[in-house]
Amino acid sequence: MRFRASIQNIHTFTKFTASLSTLGHIAWVRLDEKDVRFTVIPEQGTQVWSVLSIDTIFETYTIQSAAPNNTINLEVPIAPLQRALKSAQNAIAANIRLTKKDNIPLLSLTITTMTMNSSAPCGSAGFNGRNGSGENGADGYDAPDEFREESAELFGARGQDRETTVTQDIPIRVLAPASVEGLHEPRCREPDVHITLPNLMQLKSISDRFTKLALSTKTSTRTGFTSSASGPKLELSGNMHGCLRLSLNTDSLRISSLWTGLENPELDPEQNSEGEAGLASHPSTRMKQLGDSTGQSEEGWATVRVEGRDWGRVLSVGRLGGRVIACFCHEHALILYVFIGGNETGVGESVLTYYISSYSA
Amino acid sequence: MTVLNFSLTPEATARVYELLVCLAKFGESVAIEAKSDKLTITALNLSRTAYASFSLDARSFFISYDFHGSPGVKGGDRFTCQLLNKALQSVFKGRANDSRGRESTVERCDVHVQDQPDKTECRLIVKMLCRHGMTKTYRLTYEPTEVMHALFDRNAATQGWKISARVLREYVEYFGPKTEQLDLLAEEGKAIFTSFTEKIQDGKEVLKQPLETAVSIHTEDFEDFHMQESMHIVISVKDFKAIVTHAETLRGSISAHFSFPTRPLQFSYQNSGVHCEFTLMTTGDYRGASSTLNPNFISTRASSRQQSIAPPVAAPSRRTSEMPPPARPFGNKPLSSQSQRAPLKPRSNQAATEESDPDPESLFMPGGDGDQTWDPPNYEQEEEEEMLGWDASNEDPSASFHPTFRDSGTVPRAQKDRQPPTYGSQEGLEPTQRLSQLHGMFD
Repeated sequence: MRFRASIQNIHTFTKFTASLSTLGHIAWVRLDEKDVRFTVIPEQGTQVWSVLSIDTIFETYTIQSAAPNNTINLEVPIAPLQRALKSAQNAIAANIRLTKKDNIPLLSLTITTMTMNSSAPCGSAGFNGRNGSGENGADGYDAPDEFREESAELFGARGQDRETTVTQDIPIRVLAPASVEGLHEPRCREPDVHITLPNLMQLKSISDRFTKLALSTKTSTRTGFTSSASGPKLELSGNMHGCLRLSLNTDSLRISSLWTGLENPELDPEQNSEGEAGLASHPSTRMKQLGDSTGQSEEGWATVRVEGRDWGRVLSVGRLGGRVIACFCHEHALILYVFIGGNETGVGESVLTYYISSYSA
Repeated sequence: MTVLNFSLTPEATARVYELLVCLAKFGESVAIEAKSDKLTITALNLSRTAYASFSLDARSFFISYDFHGSPGVKGGDRFTCQLLNKALQSVFKGRANDSRGRESTVERCDVHVQDQPDKTECRLIVKMLCRHGMTKTYRLTYEPTEVMHALFDRNAATQGWKISARVLREYVEYFGPKTEQLDLLAEEGKAIFTSFTEKIQDGKEVLKQPLETAVSIHTEDFEDFHMQESMHIVISVKDFKAIVTHAETLRGSISAHFSFPTRPLQFSYQNSGVHCEFTLMTTGDYRGASSTLNPNFISTRASSRQQSIAPPVAAPSRRTSEMPPPARPFGNKPLSSQSQRAPLKPRSNQAATEESDPDPESLFMPGGDGDQTWDPPNYEQEEEEEMLGWDASNEDPSASFHPTFRDSGTVPRAQKDRQPPTYGSQEGLEPTQRLSQLHGMFD
């Protein structure tokens, strides 16, 4: 079993990992010749299933496995992966490979950085310059001045193109194909409403504020119990006329925010198993008949209730800056599709799919 | 009656805070020792495997520094006490950092010790003279104690390196927060720093294992580098981070001096009248057996710059002592510890590498560097408390005290090293083999 790739887009990979890490500790990673899949299924709360085209994060990608379809399945702890990627932020090159050490399988990240030694003397020179003229006297700063001259000479003479290598070993588990056979994406009926979400930063800060309000009013009525199932519920509704409504209803207050003028993307007949006929009978077509674009009508809304903190964690995917389409199955589930890196030609598009089930009122 | 008064500039006050933060990583309390030429603040960790010391130079660090001991009394040429680090930190915290526009900005810090029998005794009084004529006075109670200093023989520590603290600081960031140990290794022209944690077996727990991080730096990036190839020296990541973080605040370069695994290692750096030294116990092993018999050094010392780099203490003897006799690594360490442990033979194999080996030859002694070691010991009551060894095995108290003097440099090292072989040549094999059985622990 072999896997080796150079990471082409460290920042995207880091942000992607950071988004996953909010939902769970461990990701199921499936690597094959077509794409890279990261799936996080926490015991409670939202699942995310993501499919990244290889070129979204990797280049020179080599995979070799005895399993069918040349597939490797791994269990990867997300926090160490994120930390490892973080140390590659200023790297000039980063490679990842599957390896084994003391019989423990590892994802080994090899990061090459330029030695920053050459800049160090300059930095300290600046410091000396500033302080030498200051109050703190001549005596204390004499020594580093000497050092600076000496080292500048030293490094100047030896050249400055040395590289420092950092390796980060992430412990993982290799999963047998049989153990992941039973895992599949949640199945859901056709959505009633699909709508492009507004700026996630905006949506997140409003959601977080609502959640905070709910938590603060709640402490008076309920005490201590803070599992996500019992947390504050936000009501999220959308219609087929570009409106999205976020509201919070508690015993003591009702607040809501309304967005209008959002886009309801057209369904692609080719994606539908029944073609044009299927579209005509699609729930969203029916929903189009109801409601209006000002969002004042009570008709035409598809509504789900989400747990406030869980929703906030989902929205952290905003850092990836992708286009997000929300699909509402009324009183049942909310599915978010986050598209990243699809700007060029659309071939290498990657998508994260969030499955959020709705709580009953 | 002891008099100790000193004044600090705002910058120096901030430096004191920084060093207190660093010392807090080693122990809860700090020991202060005042002498006429310097003020030394030290900390020793609970397991007594790490010792940190900051010497503040009387002339260059302070605005004014006034110390009068009590000449008649034994030990009267210095003043020693102990305080809780937290208490001191809260006094010095943030006093000079917010230098712009804050009302509370300190303009000067005066400290004096109140030790007169006719007043309240054992008070350290810190006065922060702030802008607008405001003065904040803190009275801290101290505990008069004997101060322990770790002795470190630089002549024996022939290996070492020196590198810009800023560079090192950058790399320290890469080490995961949960890792415990740091392995220093020289290989193929590179210095490799590996942070790791003892391996967790298997099952689901594997995924909780922290990252293992290796940073390999060209020896050319060091200002000085000299280390035996394939030798692993292991220290605590936490200590290393604390040291590097503080070193970076002083700028300049950080030096390491060491000899072999299970022997003490010292980090040192100085700037602005602060001289910092950290003596750490090491573990580790000689992995490459061949290179142990015929030590192969990775070194940048062949360069003509060597003289500017060698520490002042060791400069003359350095070249000659640089290559130890081939047998020394095994002949030296295992034998001496073996002879001590003779009664407890079936000690576990791991002991040598897992815990910090209680090495009888590297000991703490009160009184600091230099002259006191020559003073006749005070046999009356102080001896028991004053002596402190690395040896935590508690097997034979007297055996662990005597080597204190050996390590202090009064007995030539070479002589001592040559004595044991006849006695222990068969026994000496045993730990050697044990070490080799340990292959894979750090693989």
